[in-house]
Amino acid sequence: MAANPMTQFEVYRIGPEIKIGAFDISFTNASLFMVISSLAILVIFNLGSKKNSLLPNKIQLLAEISYTFVSKMISDTAGSKAKPYFSFIFSLFMFVLFCNMFGMIPYTFTVTSHIIVTFVLAAFIFIAVTVIGFIKHGFGYLKLFVPSGVPIVLLPLIVIIEIISYLSRPISLSVRLFANMMAGHTMMKVFGGFVISLGVVGGWLPLSFSVALTGLEILVAFLQAYVFAILTCIYLNDALNLHH
Amino acid sequence: MPKDPFKTRLEIAKKKVLDKKNQRKLNPSSIGTAFKLSTELVSAVAVGTIIGFILDKTFDTKPWLILIFFFVGVVAGIMNVIKSAKNMQK
Repeated sequence: MAANPMTQFEVYRIGPEIKIGAFDISFTNASLFMVISSLAILVIFNLGSKKNSLLPNKIQLLAEISYTFVSKMISDTAGSKAKPYFSFIFSLFMFVLFCNMFGMIPYTFTVTSHIIVTFVLAAFIFIAVTVIGFIKHGFGYLKLFVPSGVPIVLLPLIVIIEIISYLSRPISLSVRLFANMMAGHTMMKVFGGFVISLGVVGGWLPLSFSVALTGLEILVAFLQAYVFAILTCIYLNDALNLHH
Repeated sequence: MPKDPFKTRLEIAKKKVLDKKNQRKLNPSSIGTAFKLSTELVSAVAVGTIIGFILDKTFDTKPWLILIFFFVGVVAGIMNVIKSAKNMQK
C-alpha cells in the first residue's frame, strides 16, 4: 500500500530500455499517458468532424462547442490577426485539458504534474511568440521593453524591469499549471489516506472532503488548461499588435 | 394609476442590461485571471535572482548583483501584478 502521497508522481519505465548516447529515451508511464490523451483527442475530433449533419449528434456537438469556445477566446483576447494560429492554440488547449482530465481518473498518471512537461510547453510558446514578434516587427519588437512617457533618468531601470518581467513569462506559465496539478493531487491522496487511518468511526469527514476536492480538482483541471491557452493568446497579442 | 407603457419597457430593458453586467462578473475567465496573479509575482522574483546569480558568477562580484537583481525582480513582479489587474478591470 503506497502511503506516501508523492508516489503517484513517480515516473517508471514501461518496456525495454532505449538509449541514444547519454540520453535515456525509454517509453515511460508519462509518455504512455501523453499518447493516450493525444489519441483520445484525435479519435474524438475525427468522429466529430466525419459526418457534418445539420442536426449534430453528441460527439459532433462536443467538437463544435470546443471549436467555437477556442475561436471566441482567441478573437476576444488576441483579435482577428491571431486567426492563423488557431490550430496551434486549439491543440495546445486540448492537450493540456485532456492530460489534466485523464489524471482525474483513479490509478492514472497526471502528465502535467511534472514541471519539465509544462516547462517545455511554456518554453516552446515563449520562443515561438518571440520569433513571431521579431518576424512581424523586426527590431521594432524591442520597443516592447521601452514604455512611452518614461523620464530618461529612469529608462535603464525600467528596461531591466521590463526584460525581467518578459523573461518571467515562461516560468509563471509553467509553474502555475504544474503547482496546481501537483498540489491538488497530493491533497486528494492525503485526504484519502486519512479515510483509511481514521477507520469507520472518524473516516466520514475526510471522505466528504475528498468528494468535494474531486469536484474542485475537475474545475481546476479545466481552469488551468483555459488559463494556459488564454495566456498564450495574450502573449501572442503582444507580439502581433505592438502597442506601447 | 396606469403606468406609462414606455417607462415599464425602459425598466425591463435596464434590468436586462444590469443582469448581463452581473453575469459578466461571474464568468470563468475572471476566475482564470485571478489564478494568474500569485505566480506572476513569484516568477519575476525568481528570474531576477537567477539573473543576478549568473552575473555575479561572470563578473566575480559575489554578493552585490544578486542583491540588486533580487529587488529589481520584486519590482518587476509587482509591476506584473498591477498590469494584469489593470487588464482584468477592462
